[in-house]
Amino acid sequence: MSNANQYGDLATQLLTESRRSTATNTLLKYNDVLVRSIIREQRDLEAAIEAALAHSAAPAPDADPDATLGDDGPRNQKGENAYMPTVLLYQTAILRNKRCLLAYHHHRVEFLKDLYWSVGGALPLLLSLAPAPAPAAADASAGGAASAAPQDIRSKLSPHEVDFLRSYAASLLTLRTEAFSSASGAGAGLTEDVDLLAPISYPPKDLQVHVRVVRDCGIVHTELGAIDFKRGHRFLVRRSDIEHLIVQGYLEES
Amino acid sequence: MAAPWDDDFDAPIAGPSFIDRVRNAPDDDDGGDFAMHDGDDFETARGRVGGGLSVMGQDVAEETPFQQLIRHWMNERHAPDILPGQEMLLGRILDHVRKQSNDVELLRADPDSSEEEHFRIMLVQTEVERVKFIVRSYIRTRLHKIEKYARYISSAPDVHERLSKAELEHARRYSRLVEYHFKQSVLQSLPEQQQSLDEEVAFMPPMVAKPDKKRPVVARALVDCPPMRLPDGTSTEMKKGQISMTPYYVVEHLLLRGEVELV
Repeated sequence: MSNANQYGDLATQLLTESRRSTATNTLLKYNDVLVRSIIREQRDLEAAIEAALAHSAAPAPDADPDATLGDDGPRNQKGENAYMPTVLLYQTAILRNKRCLLAYHHHRVEFLKDLYWSVGGALPLLLSLAPAPAPAAADASAGGAASAAPQDIRSKLSPHEVDFLRSYAASLLTLRTEAFSSASGAGAGLTEDVDLLAPISYPPKDLQVHVRVVRDCGIVHTELGAIDFKRGHRFLVRRSDIEHLIVQGYLEES
Repeated sequence: MAAPWDDDFDAPIAGPSFIDRVRNAPDDDDGGDFAMHDGDDFETARGRVGGGLSVMGQDVAEETPFQQLIRHWMNERHAPDILPGQEMLLGRILDHVRKQSNDVELLRADPDSSEEEHFRIMLVQTEVERVKFIVRSYIRTRLHKIEKYARYISSAPDVHERLSKAELEHARRYSRLVEYHFKQSVLQSLPEQQQSLDEEVAFMPPMVAKPDKKRPVVARALVDCPPMRLPDGTSTEMKKGQISMTPYYVVEHLLLRGEVELV
């Protein structure tokens, strides 16, 4: 607690970070240092409580039978009474810190989920270490998918968050294959008909869409046959065939 | 639910030429697929020709499946709580979408299709894409709520019946996942007394998020509704077509019975 003047200061810093992340809609680096120091503060607080409780029991040896009272025991001792406010203060700080820690992590998890959906569930793309061929794709396309190529998300995540994203993707995959398998009986799940991961910001207005290739993505089979998408080329293609490529930032609507 | 399939998205191609064409389509490789098109479908399809569709002011019973889906979609998007899933409806719509797509493929492959038919095909394809959009949005809306209230859902059995099996499984998996993540990131490093995830502390919000049923919603009466009790103890009735803003729990039972819709 060397750098903290008050209990809870660090947790407030953590929450400020979450707020900043929401306000700027960017993912900040996982603040491991701060999280650790708050956890240390929690341990110190817990120790302080124990100490206070021990104190409250110890200086009243004349009434020994009550010395072993638990932390929530009745305050029938004068000494214990004096320490109760201290304990209450520590306890409040502990609870607040804990909620702040959880809120910070929850906020990040929600942000990561949004990110996951915004790239159409392309986890490898999201986690790819340093996306070398990501040129000036940052100029947010006017289209619905304003997700510019994610820059090095992975370095901002804690290892647990990477695990979380992986498990989350796996769970969704199970959901998509299981869902409605009973409804049609044909065995063909929902996935074949409706791409759950496609964007849902705007309803489609046209079947066809003009696209510009921003990044090479090789040969893609479309309704019109196989098309080799090379950087700089423009095509008129069926939206549903290449929608995922737009979402993942390979193509751009023009 | 027994309403014949009859919706606005395929109305433009409901002309006899389309149906006859499909019926008399040359037996090519895809011919086998048509075994599943029983005659009834075509009869009902033919029956709707010229049947004018008025989207507004229709009785609930006359709603087409797609209109039903739109209604459920809007309800789901506006309600704070998760509503009963419409698996049957979705299944029927998806089946139909699949069938339409097959028909379209066949017609496109047919060199005899006229210019006008190609135009119609385009309309159908566009409409199919738009239907898929609604389906997608509907499922995603539910998914969002399921994840938001995952821990509440897995602990409240009365919510379970509103979810499909797959959705419930996902809710369970998700709540386990989040708990595990919290445990790994934070809780396991804390002293033992601080590790629980469901403590109830006075003056602090509970740790398990629940749907806020007091949230205001705007409801429109589809029929004349029975009296409902307002928060201040008085009661009121909504006439058909009337729109009011109330807390969600006031109209919840009406919504579940399909007597109001959220707008």
